[in-house]
Amino acid sequence: MVRVPMDQQPSSRPPAGPGDAYVIIAYLLSGMVVWGGAGWLLDHWLDTGFFTVIGLVIGAAASVYLVYVRYGRQ
Amino acid sequence: MRTLALLSTEGEGFNPPGAEDFELPPLFTIAGFEVTKVTLLVFLSVVLIGAFFYLAARRGALVPGRLQFAGEGAYSFVRNQLGRDVIGSEDFKKFVPFLVTLFFFILVNNVFGIVPFLQFPTMSHIGYPAALAAISFFVYNTVGIRRHGFVNYFKAAMFPPGVPKPVYVILSPIELMTILFTRPLTLAMRLFANMFAGHLLLLVFILGGEYMLHSGGFAAILSPFAFGFGIVLTFFELLVQVLQAYIFTLLSSLYIAGALAEEH
Repeated sequence: MVRVPMDQQPSSRPPAGPGDAYVIIAYLLSGMVVWGGAGWLLDHWLDTGFFTVIGLVIGAAASVYLVYVRYGRQ
Repeated sequence: MRTLALLSTEGEGFNPPGAEDFELPPLFTIAGFEVTKVTLLVFLSVVLIGAFFYLAARRGALVPGRLQFAGEGAYSFVRNQLGRDVIGSEDFKKFVPFLVTLFFFILVNNVFGIVPFLQFPTMSHIGYPAALAAISFFVYNTVGIRRHGFVNYFKAAMFPPGVPKPVYVILSPIELMTILFTRPLTLAMRLFANMFAGHLLLLVFILGGEYMLHSGGFAAILSPFAFGFGIVLTFFELLVQVLQAYIFTLLSSLYIAGALAEEH
């Protein structure tokens, strides 16, 4: 293979690409699954019907905050 | 097979294509393993990719010929765009073989979906994307654990810096869920769903057009539109197929980069 002399160029991580969007979607999904799931379990345990919704909202909000922590403040 | 089934049930109305169209009958059996068209396509893809890169790299001429130029172009696209620019110039070299293999394996198997006579996207069988996602999952976690140690890797992944301590109660389970579950799941599902839906879409237009043609009358006159749309969607599918191979490899690369870069 021919050696490509581009190794010497400084390469920094691009600020945002199509990949980051999918990474963020994975976070949002996890947040809603984890806390929505916790709420669903609580609902089943306590025979109520509102913890799932609360969990989903908390999970979504926490995910957005997490994305901000990971990607938003540099 | 599909055509014969359609013709033999003429007069019973159009039965729309569905999930059963993805269950291909075994062609022959080797030592108890039923070999389907999908299995053969996977082997064909491996042979094609291997032959292409072998022939392209064989001469290794300083002034590349046409084939070598194509091979080097394909290789350095993945190497530079998906490897170096994402993982960073210190660490990326180890992962180039993995990324190049991943990209071209998915690409060729996806494009099989619109190659005449082959015409089946391997990745529309969930087992194949699932296995690839499992490999990706294994690679980025192993790399992270080897670089930082088991405890530090998960600590860095689960506790992003600069967050008030009580908030970790909410955030850490989300992070753990993401690296252990959501990432491999979304990798596999995205590739599978895109290929499955795309193939189904083509089936609807082509088989629908065929049915209209055979049913005669006004529908037969309109059938060219269905076929025409089928052709347009075939080109659209090519775009999706290339894009999905790119996305899968890019995300694998991003996850590796993330596992390597976690702060201590």
